[in-house]
Amino acid sequence: MSVRVLNPNAEVLNKSAALHMNINAAKGLQDVLKSNLGPKGTIKMLVGGAGDIKLTKDGNTLLKEMQIQNPTAIMIARTAVAQDDISGDGTTSTVIFIGELMKQSDRYIDEGDFMLILGQLIFFEKHDMALLYILFPISSTYVGCGIVRMHPRVLVDGFEIAKKATLQFLENFKTPVVMGEEPDKEMLKMVARTTLRTKLYEALADQLTDIVVNAVLCIRKPEEPIDLFMVEIMHMRQKFDVDTRLVEGLVLDHGSRHPDMKRRAENCYILTCNVSLEYEKSEINAGFFYSNAEQREAMVVAERRSVDERVRKIIELKNKVCNGTDNNFVVINQKGIDPPSLDLLARAGIVALRRAKRRNMERLVLACGGEAVNSVDDLTPDCLGWAGLVYEHVLGEEKYTFVEEVKHPHSCTILIKGPNDHTIAQIKDAVRDGLRSVKNTIEDEAVVLGAGAFEVAARQHLINEVKKSVKGRAQLGIQAFADALLVVPKTLAENSGLDTQDVIISLTGEHDKGNIVGINQHTGEPIDPQMEGIFDNYAVKRQIINSGPVIASQLLLVDEVIRAGRNMRKPT
Amino acid sequence: MKELVTFQVGSYANFIGSHFWNFQDELLGLVEDAEADLVFKNQNIDMDVLYRTGENHQGMPTYTPRLISVDFQGSLGSMSSHGTLYNQNSSLSSGVTTWLYDEGQEIGANNANGIDKASVESHSEILDTDVVKSLEDGVQFWTDFSKVHYHPQSLFELNGLWMGAQEFNNYRIGRDTVSEGLQGDEINERLRFFVEECDHVQGIQFIVDDSGGYSGVAASLLENIEDEYTNVPVLLYSVRSPDSYTKAANRKQVISRKLHDAVSFSALSSLCKLIVPLGLPSLSENRASQFLNLQNEKPYHSSAVYASAIHSITLPFRMKRVGPAGESLNESGAMDLYEGIQIRFRLVNLQPLTPETAHDVEDLQAIESMVVHGVLGAVREAVETAYENTSTRPRFSHVSVSRCPLPIPLPFPSIFGNLVGRRGELLSNPQSGSGSGSGSRGSLDVHSIPMAARLRSTTAVLPFLENRLNNIHKLGIERGSIGADVLRDWGFGKEEVEEIGESISKMVLALDPQQGYSSDSD
Repeated sequence: MSVRVLNPNAEVLNKSAALHMNINAAKGLQDVLKSNLGPKGTIKMLVGGAGDIKLTKDGNTLLKEMQIQNPTAIMIARTAVAQDDISGDGTTSTVIFIGELMKQSDRYIDEGDFMLILGQLIFFEKHDMALLYILFPISSTYVGCGIVRMHPRVLVDGFEIAKKATLQFLENFKTPVVMGEEPDKEMLKMVARTTLRTKLYEALADQLTDIVVNAVLCIRKPEEPIDLFMVEIMHMRQKFDVDTRLVEGLVLDHGSRHPDMKRRAENCYILTCNVSLEYEKSEINAGFFYSNAEQREAMVVAERRSVDERVRKIIELKNKVCNGTDNNFVVINQKGIDPPSLDLLARAGIVALRRAKRRNMERLVLACGGEAVNSVDDLTPDCLGWAGLVYEHVLGEEKYTFVEEVKHPHSCTILIKGPNDHTIAQIKDAVRDGLRSVKNTIEDEAVVLGAGAFEVAARQHLINEVKKSVKGRAQLGIQAFADALLVVPKTLAENSGLDTQDVIISLTGEHDKGNIVGINQHTGEPIDPQMEGIFDNYAVKRQIINSGPVIASQLLLVDEVIRAGRNMRKPT
Repeated sequence: MKELVTFQVGSYANFIGSHFWNFQDELLGLVEDAEADLVFKNQNIDMDVLYRTGENHQGMPTYTPRLISVDFQGSLGSMSSHGTLYNQNSSLSSGVTTWLYDEGQEIGANNANGIDKASVESHSEILDTDVVKSLEDGVQFWTDFSKVHYHPQSLFELNGLWMGAQEFNNYRIGRDTVSEGLQGDEINERLRFFVEECDHVQGIQFIVDDSGGYSGVAASLLENIEDEYTNVPVLLYSVRSPDSYTKAANRKQVISRKLHDAVSFSALSSLCKLIVPLGLPSLSENRASQFLNLQNEKPYHSSAVYASAIHSITLPFRMKRVGPAGESLNESGAMDLYEGIQIRFRLVNLQPLTPETAHDVEDLQAIESMVVHGVLGAVREAVETAYENTSTRPRFSHVSVSRCPLPIPLPFPSIFGNLVGRRGELLSNPQSGSGSGSGSRGSLDVHSIPMAARLRSTTAVLPFLENRLNNIHKLGIERGSIGADVLRDWGFGKEEVEEIGESISKMVLALDPQQGYSSDSD
């Protein structure tokens, strides 16, 4: 209220209202995303103004597409999207976990709220508080009634202890994977499969698993961080989703621009270059001055000559390496190539592509070998890469150039096919997450048992060990945190159409016996995730445990929401 | 061939762009129209400069603008971001079976409702007058009045903003949005798609609504263009809608806006070859609109005027047998980045469309390019003799003349006054409009207008620059200035702010050497 004194126009929500706004927003967001968790989760259909359809169950995509306006929800959404940026997955889990933390806190805060002792015990609804003070203006102080209200700070302290304990527990719980020279391919596949099955239907997910794992292994170099950009993701609107495949080599989304160039060439030298092969004025201010048309022509010819010179050098190199053999020569240029230059190249039997993606320059070198040249002055055969097959595929006005049969690829392309745009988009999102999960596993050198096994185990640990070691009301915070962890197995069960209570009871029962089990999505029976090959990323789990409580604590500690910088303009 | 790629960034820029493409579409249509005036037939304008030929999945040829439009998600209204030409389902629905089915259903429906077919037809037929009227009544999205088919790569929607359009109002937010989630990369990919097809890109024309976060978006895109297409000149129109001039709510907003203007101007001007600020606070009260009947609050109205100006200015780039005009853009060096645009309607006096310019300034150093189109007779000679006779002729000037007037497409606002005739001639007696009445005439009554537009780099733009320079000095650079925090929030360090000030003051110096001497001495 003191803000009102400072600025009578300020929009203010005070204590309990502020807290409830935050809790409700968190719950709301949780409710939206909850149904999409896990392999059995349902799908959301996003419809655009003109009836464009997008189908997705990827939390990250959903959050970005939804026009979220509530400030609390935006905070949570930002945390979740950051989660995706850092670890590549776990957006939905983050939102659900934060929502559940808030929900559990709500229970404790509300329970403690407004319990009054006034001679005899009376329970009041929270909204009657004001009334109470009106009715008993003196007695409330005089009789010394106690308002047993749980302060959010107490819960937050508990969260902090629980978070530390859980992270520690995670360190012991994780399953180490030795990477060494040859990573355990089976393990990588299991992780990728776990991720992909939550995004796509099973058959397709299993097919993509191999593609994704092979792609990452292809670009992996020992002792170097994995750069996922070296996997090109290309899509073609054609055929069916199961025709998606891994191309060991590169697929470019453009073709040659000259009718006489070969559409298919075998045994190709690849020249990757960033050299302008079009006529352009060298300096902006160097515009030339002329007094008649002939003079102008002469100048244009002179300017043109330097371009031709560059083309000639490339042709020389081609003749040097190809003469007498049936080898071919392909130029892939990042800059432009104008029609006269294309003509010259075509006449020399060279296939030339212009305006390649900047990233493809790097990828080409990794895939075919050689190096990317920035000038044609010192061209040597060493600069050239090699590909066994280069061919063009035309689809309507779109052209694709396949560079395949390369020798030692360190870059590859995942070629996504699908009959329509929304299928392609869905596969694209899934592939991206799958790649990230494989990369994470290789870098973490560890995985975590999935299917809710970790959450149940961590909860038991918190309740049985940690809670007992702490004195006082912080215990409540630990309890709330532990219960919130259960939201993952609970939601998994719910989305599979199982009875949540039964599942949780049988899971905790098994855990108390010392068996680490997860939930079977089909029957609800406990299963051993290790046997089933259900593994989650260690990095993802750690990130969720880390970021969830931080944001929840901040939201719980908000006691006033003030709308700053109120806009006097009418909303248009 | 000399291709142009067009960018439209921001809501108001898209309004202008939509009108611009309507003009082009109208021109294209008139070439094929047997009843059209002869001037449209051999107009000597090469549309391939702006358009690309393609082919959709069914093998149908397409002719679409070489355009990338960036706007908020949801700003496309009822248009699909993939356009309609490349929709795969169209081949399925044209099958014979469907035709039979449709016919049967229609009859069935009519019988069921007991309405005879004639009345249904008269109801369902939408008359041109209805179109004009409903557009006058309310245009919400720029797609509402667009009659052009776009390529699926053309329309880009920014998503993941999580804020209202009101908060998307500064340079920083725009930059963040583009860098977030690879959206910038995707736009650049689309640009690459269009450029790859071009044999020789003449330049990129960039229309940006620089009053809000879109200037940050544009700056990021321009930086990429500078990197990737180093020698491709960029012509940038920084446009403002009349409602971007509405009074700011509080002091904080005033400061933030002033700083934004300075920052965005200096950022954008350094990234292009020629910057043309367009957009007056109030178009209807301007002398330019003497014969117009404009409503300021409607972006549909004001954007039409700016679009016609842009259309005229860009005509020389598209004329066949490109004379020196094609190069005039390149020749404008560092000093000539500032100009006032002046436009005149139907040979009335030219009026500037750039805000904050001084009136009646003659400058010996001026460089100008003037375009007159749609008038007969020896305009060129007339203009030249006019210059011969005055003592203050600009140092360099270029005049382009085309016989082809500006065609008025059907979805064009009724903004003409009642003194304007069918071909844009001025009438002595007021004519009442057939459409929406009340003295304004629209596309039904006026079919084409002659236009003259002049792009001019003079000292008249000094106040525009000085305002920005003063603002950045007063609010950003001086010790203890109030705007310093805002700038820091936007991620500008002290030195960067000083650089911005420096760059603007250099421009002022170039135009006004006297001021330079005085500031050097202290």
